[in-house]
Amino acid sequence: MATNVICPRCAFDTIEQLYTSPVPGVWEVLQCQQCLYCWRTSEPARRTDRDAYPDDFKMTVDDIINAPEVPAIPPLLAKTGS
Amino acid sequence: MAYDDLRAFLKALDEQGQLLRITDEVMPEPDIAAAANAAPRLGDNAPALYFDNVKGFTDARIAMNVHGSWANHALALGLPKDTGVKAQVDEFIARWAKFPVKPLWRDDPPWANNTRTGEAVNIFEVLPLIRLNDGDGGFYLDKAAVVSKDPEDPENSGKQNVGVYRIEVKGKRKLALQPVPMHDIAQHLRKAEQVGEDLPIAITVGNDPVISIVASTPMEYDQNEYELAGALRGEPAPIAKSPLHGLPVPWGSEVVIEGFIQGRKREIEGPFGEFTGHYSGGRNMTVIRIDCISYRDHPIFEHLYLGMPWTEIDYLLAANTCVPLYEQLKKDYPEVQAVNAMYTHGLVVIVSTKKRYGGFAKAVGMRVLTTPHGLGYAATVIVVDDDVDPFNLPQVMWALSTKMNPAGDLIRVPNLSILALAPQANTPGIVDKLIIDATTPIEPDHRGNYGNQVRDLPEMGKWLTKLQQLAANR
Repeated sequence: MATNVICPRCAFDTIEQLYTSPVPGVWEVLQCQQCLYCWRTSEPARRTDRDAYPDDFKMTVDDIINAPEVPAIPPLLAKTGS
Repeated sequence: MAYDDLRAFLKALDEQGQLLRITDEVMPEPDIAAAANAAPRLGDNAPALYFDNVKGFTDARIAMNVHGSWANHALALGLPKDTGVKAQVDEFIARWAKFPVKPLWRDDPPWANNTRTGEAVNIFEVLPLIRLNDGDGGFYLDKAAVVSKDPEDPENSGKQNVGVYRIEVKGKRKLALQPVPMHDIAQHLRKAEQVGEDLPIAITVGNDPVISIVASTPMEYDQNEYELAGALRGEPAPIAKSPLHGLPVPWGSEVVIEGFIQGRKREIEGPFGEFTGHYSGGRNMTVIRIDCISYRDHPIFEHLYLGMPWTEIDYLLAANTCVPLYEQLKKDYPEVQAVNAMYTHGLVVIVSTKKRYGGFAKAVGMRVLTTPHGLGYAATVIVVDDDVDPFNLPQVMWALSTKMNPAGDLIRVPNLSILALAPQANTPGIVDKLIIDATTPIEPDHRGNYGNQVRDLPEMGKWLTKLQQLAANR
């Protein structure tokens, strides 16, 4: 888990590390455990820093809860036969 | 000649001056996406891009914009790189006539050299994944050909599917996939989910250029993409059985990822900058568990940038959207001359047709709406006379300028289906569609004051040839 990092997109503070650069210490791939936003630490601030992250792309807990299902899960068919 | 894998095609592009190697060190983001965003702006001869010096990676090879120009599209079909757009579409139609050409099972696929299964799977270790647009929710695969079978009829090779879908990487062995309800894989998934089962899939990354074209062709449900690949290649497409599921996958793929779309499970995904030039919102989307990854030695990651059109995806979805619509319309209405559906995968469709009698062009327009592809696209249909080339937009604008009277030539059909990504719909998935009849009315439709149309002089063609020769010899 990455410490002292908040999600640029939803400001959640539980962030997992998914991968680190094959050349040690160059970058990490992180993932927010709430909105699942995933980024590389070497990306520009507009993608990695909550303060610089564009408002248009921010996500809230409500956005996650109310996100439509794609595709909708179909009803289970009743089992037939004996 | 046909290419059996991506590597053979990249070599051909290189030899034709259509591959640009970026040897300076680049940042994975934003450099690679920005370069691929820029490449099509170089024009009809824009090259593919190849990166192998990417900061933080030790062994990355990334190919972008492989189909991203008319020159590259022509080479993908084995045509000279200066082949014109309409000529490429005409050649596609001619080769479609040879469909179906059965694929060929070939042994020893190079991707069998390396395999990881179960907990040993980490997609980040196999593919040098990169992010594309600023608002994207994460890392995506957007040019992979995904193979699945109809769970109710798994032995029917016609109903199997090879398609390109947006796939988000959400973990070392977790993905999300977007099955647009109008696309074949959504039917497979629905059949699996309504009986509570998972859907086995194989995701193939880095394919020969014709596989990418057929996988993004809106074929009918029971048409086999590999059999179209054979027709387009002029020889059978080589395929092999995937190790986990035994699914038919391209023999030449760089990477084959196998797993299951987990039935009846959804999780937050996106947004993603889509082919419409707009971001889709965040949606709760399917979840894939990866169980096996097979890959060639030193795999090449082929990826695609998409954004404000035109980008690579617009070239990839151009000819192959026009031709099936043309074939389906021509079957019912032989008067149809040509179909241009190359704008945003056919959200706009332009059809030229001869007319049987007054009102006929409107019937052709309505038939576009009821084709399989039209159910999810074709928000606007423009019908023009047979002497208008639908690929020549100045001619289409002339037809709209002079042949269309809003009083009787605009047919608005309310509340039809459209893919949910179409941003103009108030309710995603439902939109009013428009047919514009920009043909000259004929008997018994007496509207307008057309008199006689000016025709090209009979001697014009001869002079065109002469002038071209004189200009070439200057």
